[in-house]
Amino acid sequence: MVSASEWAAPPTRTELIENLVSGVDRYNPNNVGILEDYLYHQIRSQEYDCLANLAILKLYQFNPDLYNPDVVINILIKALTAYPFPDFNLCISLLDERPFPANPDEPDPLPSLLPVLTSLYNLLQQCRFPAFWALYRSDKAESLRDNYTVECVGFEDSVREVVIRAVTPAFKRIGTDRLSTYLDLSGDDLTAYIEKLGWSLDAESGVATLPLNPDNQIVSTVVQENIQLPQLTKIIAHTQTVA
Amino acid sequence: MSQQRKAIWEADLDEELQDVDLNLAIGSYGQNDLYNDVQSRIDEATLVAVQQQMAQQAAFASIPDVVKRFIVHFHQAVLENNLAEITVAYESGWNRLTEKFYAKTEWPEAEVIAPLVNDDQIFLILYRELYYRHVYSRLQPDIDDRFHSYENSCELFNYLLNSDGPVPLQLPEQWLWDIIDEFIYQFQSFCTWRTKVKSKTDEELQLLGEGNQVWSSYSVLNVLYSLIQKSKINEHILALQEGKSTEEIAEIVGEYGVRPLYRMLGYFSIIGLLRVHSLLGDFTLALKVMENVELNQKSPFTRVTACHVTTYYYVGFCYIMLRRYSDAIRAFVSILNFILRMRQYHTRSYQYDQINKTADRMYALFAICNALSPSRLDDNIFNTAKERFGEQITKMSRGEEGIPAFEELFIYACPKFISANPPPYEDPELLQAYIDDPPVEPIQRHLSLFLSEVRAQVPVPTLRSFLKLYTSLDAKKLANFLDADEEEMVQQMMVMKQASRSISRVENGKGLLDGQTISTSDLDFVIDDNMVHIAESTVGRRYAGWFIRNTEHAQRVYDTIKSSPLPPRKVNVTQTQPAQAAPAPPRNAGAKVAWGGIKVA
Repeated sequence: MVSASEWAAPPTRTELIENLVSGVDRYNPNNVGILEDYLYHQIRSQEYDCLANLAILKLYQFNPDLYNPDVVINILIKALTAYPFPDFNLCISLLDERPFPANPDEPDPLPSLLPVLTSLYNLLQQCRFPAFWALYRSDKAESLRDNYTVECVGFEDSVREVVIRAVTPAFKRIGTDRLSTYLDLSGDDLTAYIEKLGWSLDAESGVATLPLNPDNQIVSTVVQENIQLPQLTKIIAHTQTVA
Repeated sequence: MSQQRKAIWEADLDEELQDVDLNLAIGSYGQNDLYNDVQSRIDEATLVAVQQQMAQQAAFASIPDVVKRFIVHFHQAVLENNLAEITVAYESGWNRLTEKFYAKTEWPEAEVIAPLVNDDQIFLILYRELYYRHVYSRLQPDIDDRFHSYENSCELFNYLLNSDGPVPLQLPEQWLWDIIDEFIYQFQSFCTWRTKVKSKTDEELQLLGEGNQVWSSYSVLNVLYSLIQKSKINEHILALQEGKSTEEIAEIVGEYGVRPLYRMLGYFSIIGLLRVHSLLGDFTLALKVMENVELNQKSPFTRVTACHVTTYYYVGFCYIMLRRYSDAIRAFVSILNFILRMRQYHTRSYQYDQINKTADRMYALFAICNALSPSRLDDNIFNTAKERFGEQITKMSRGEEGIPAFEELFIYACPKFISANPPPYEDPELLQAYIDDPPVEPIQRHLSLFLSEVRAQVPVPTLRSFLKLYTSLDAKKLANFLDADEEEMVQQMMVMKQASRSISRVENGKGLLDGQTISTSDLDFVIDDNMVHIAESTVGRRYAGWFIRNTEHAQRVYDTIKSSPLPPRKVNVTQTQPAQAAPAPPRNAGAKVAWGGIKVA
């Protein structure tokens, strides 16, 4: 799992963005363009930088006239793929009350897509992966798929990574049927994917074996006390001094 | 006589002069018939000014002498930068007089007491700060109070930040913290008041429409960031951590940073930013601004108790919203222990109530964290939390039924969130649309986000109770026990596995956002195709630590007693009695007085 320091400062972040995120310039409305470009860069190259995206949302919070619903939806899509980090909820926290409809010609797609995105996120939270794929492929999410996720490079693969992140700690071996419902892959695609992950597949019984990791090796431990000699020095020393 | 004529003549020209003359005129008293004559010639403005002056005079006269003396003394202390005197006046003097004379009313206005302090503007700004703080806490501020307190704060910060060079003022740390704290509190109070559109009068609506900049989020953030930048407090902290010498530090922080006033203001502004960002819903940024501050007993923020408590409260809350429950628990446990220990020293402080209330909310948050991420805890704190919130705790561990309990505690304990933008007062049409269809309140938004996290973890407690009974179990069997579909159950187990892993700060991690994944549950399991294997970790009895600590304590007591001087030897009681009896008779004899032969008994 990605450690928190990487989440807070991903190595793919450039110095310019780093200065923007960590300094006072993040409040300057003129900088929103730089951050939005960075977001599109993330979308195209399958990278992710949570804090920079949150900075965009914060600028929108203070300057409602900068609000751009496409950007917000893209940020939310990216946040979906970051689970189990709480990014999606953090983004929603920063979406203040409805911004006032600036342009009556272009309707705001966010209010209609937000419930879909939220349900998708809830399904991921509850690890209900088959339901997730079902909702994702359904009509309700059609607009989402056609306009947004199609542009986000590797969106489906990133979601599959989320699934793998959930499956790896919990399983030692998992049936391929189950795995295929989780990943929304079947047959040859599934086999190829499993091999890419480095898992070994037992074709006849249809079971994939996961590599051992710290999470799926369980050991029952008894936490014992560990007394070191230095802790006892004071007591022992005292017995010497007492006449 | 001529003076009065001059006053009437110059009534239109110079109001100030006129004031002075009228003063004398009113003082001299008996010339009523002359006034009756010329009453009609005095125009409206002067009449108002006269009335104001009279009101001020009356107000001035009605100030008790004690208060007047206090103000003069306070002013003197501030002028001389006498920190000890200022502290006494600020902490006990002001509060005592408030209790005695101004418990239900406002203190006299700054203009009224101005003559006492020779119109010292700086002191008046500080006085107004205290005046408005009193209004906000004991009384209901109206729109004028709010606007004026904002202007006063701006003047104060302007004075501190934009004078040529650092100001030669010295104030106690408690006051500096209170300035920042109160500033943010007034901001929050204003935002909450501002969103209640329906109850505003027309005049208020108009003022709000024009006064867009008053208490705007940008200006508040601007103040805090400027204080931080002026005092270069972040560089200062880093330099201290790297162990630089005092001269090097002085060079790094510049002329502002070396003065304790600016240093402490900068430091408290960091905590202030933590608070403001949490109120606005940006939890990661809140923790990010604190990245150089170390959360331990040696940090400067522990010097002011209220600041200490506030810091831990907001840090803990941010961790909860970031789903780092073990970090949150750690923060709450340390601060709650601290409050328990220092409670007896602070009963006289006026902040005692506030600290207690915050402590109560932290107990509620601690109970929430514990329900979501049970771990081996500090029994003391847990017991107190159970006393206070026992009912909710039992409900919360029951899965689905516990959600209302979570909601109740969350609403009780969370900070008073605000929304960054005001309702559209400038545009009446938009305002009407706003009234008809108000957006969701911030607190409801955050509550629903929190509840979605809780809901995801609802199946965990039941699963736990079943898994505890076995070491290995078939998945189908488990599904039968739970009366659930096998597939759903497997998914719930994945949730449980994820719930038991969270990010937490480890020993060497720098900054509050850092951390690594740790396991927080003592119950671990893995699914092997269709078999579930379970392992439980237990804690062995720990007794060595307790024994070592108490042995050392006993040693210290023994050593202290042994090395103390012995008490003076007391003579035995039985020996003293005859000694006392012996001198008595000779005394009697010697005390025979010459006159009248009266024996002294």
